[in-house]
Amino acid sequence: MIDGKYGVEFLKEKEMENHQDKQKNITSGSDDFAQAIARIAVAQICESLGYQSFQQSALDTLSDVGVRYIREIGKNAMCYANLTNRNECNVFDVIQGLEDLGSVQGFSGASDYNHCLSGSGVVRDIIRYVYETEEFPFAHSIPTFPVVKGGKLYTSFAQIGENPPNEYIPSWLPMFPDPETCVHINSRDKKEVEFAVESKVEERHMKVDRSLLNLQPKLICDGLETGLADGNGYAAKAQRTVESNPFLAPPLQLEEKDVSLPMLPAKLSDEATSKCQNHAVFANHVSILEPYAPATEEIGTHSCQSTQDRRKVPLNGRNTVKFKLGSSRKCSGTEMSPWNEGIEKVSLWFGVD
Amino acid sequence: MNAQSSQQQSSDGRHDDDAALTDFLASLMDYTPTIPDELVEHYLAKSGFQCPDVRLTRLVAVATQKFIADVATDALQQCKARQSAVVKDKRDKQQKDKRLILTMEDLSKALQEYGVNVKHQDYFADSPSAGLDPAARDE
Repeated sequence: MIDGKYGVEFLKEKEMENHQDKQKNITSGSDDFAQAIARIAVAQICESLGYQSFQQSALDTLSDVGVRYIREIGKNAMCYANLTNRNECNVFDVIQGLEDLGSVQGFSGASDYNHCLSGSGVVRDIIRYVYETEEFPFAHSIPTFPVVKGGKLYTSFAQIGENPPNEYIPSWLPMFPDPETCVHINSRDKKEVEFAVESKVEERHMKVDRSLLNLQPKLICDGLETGLADGNGYAAKAQRTVESNPFLAPPLQLEEKDVSLPMLPAKLSDEATSKCQNHAVFANHVSILEPYAPATEEIGTHSCQSTQDRRKVPLNGRNTVKFKLGSSRKCSGTEMSPWNEGIEKVSLWFGVD
Repeated sequence: MNAQSSQQQSSDGRHDDDAALTDFLASLMDYTPTIPDELVEHYLAKSGFQCPDVRLTRLVAVATQKFIADVATDALQQCKARQSAVVKDKRDKQQKDKRLILTMEDLSKALQEYGVNVKHQDYFADSPSAGLDPAARDE
């Protein structure tokens, strides 16, 4: 409990102390400043009535209720203003809002639906309150808040004096970013572009990395669909990302690195064929091994193979995708390709959990 | 005749009401409510209230002040009623009883009448068996 003869000043000091003590645990909200002011104002009102001290939780609750009251008045007043095709409130909207809120407690003349608003019981109560109570202003001076920060303005074409590259782009739109950050490298000019790009690495290292990190997931998605045909295209970018994050490096190309074929243990392959139906425990193993089972057949049949081949897709053709649309929102599609005899399940095309 | 006179009286009454309201709004400029204008404007802006007139924000501030004062008065009455009930039993605690403290109990009872339900936890326990007898806890 907070007690003291000068309740408000002590309360303010105590709040500062609490803030310093609990600084690690405080999750600051965006409205802390306004709530703190509301608490002080409510404490002043209570003090004027005769209260000598408050419980912290009680003060917080009452100030929160007061804040909600203000917001409710504003909301109701705006509702009434909008009803009459206005977007600025006048005094009658406010009085009607107050009447709505006061209808819980009741005021004189509430049942009279025909009464004039300016003579409403709510207004009379407020007038009486103002004349009866003493005036005591807020304890501190407050700056106008929230402080408006200047927004970051992008320079438009017209401001710089450049003409937009195409006719359909108006000149008041912001400029395009630098072309180095979003260059699409052609595979033929790979080496030239590499050199050109490396020479500018020191200048735009951070910007490029950031844009590449954004590009990388997109490229990976595209790579799955259209194959690694234009994989050489982003090798230059890949080099720079490897410097920063090895996990973001693109997958290895064909025959770039000798990889030994994965040897399935004989134990697992036997169990998968014989015991899968009986044991529910092995159900998980079966679902994992199914893609591998046809792959092992492929590896035996085809002559030159690597683990990457299963994902190789011909340039001309595309996988035929068959959708199975179920009753639930989750949609799963299966991919059938002439190269893969197995079924690769591509789920969650647009699945929402 | 009677209808006309009554109409005239009612219109006079309306003029009086309007005049009273206008005078009141003008007097609000001199009166400084406890709740500062900036705070009221901030929360009114959050709910979409648009009005450049300062008198309206003062009106809202005064209305809120009145509301809080009413709630606090009710809580004060609850507190005093509780203290007067206790003082009858123990006369030696008069010094402490004169202290008026805004507690959650009084506040929740006062807010109940205004339609605001504030239920305060009496205590928090770590486990269901906290505070029980050791014999019951063993079960």
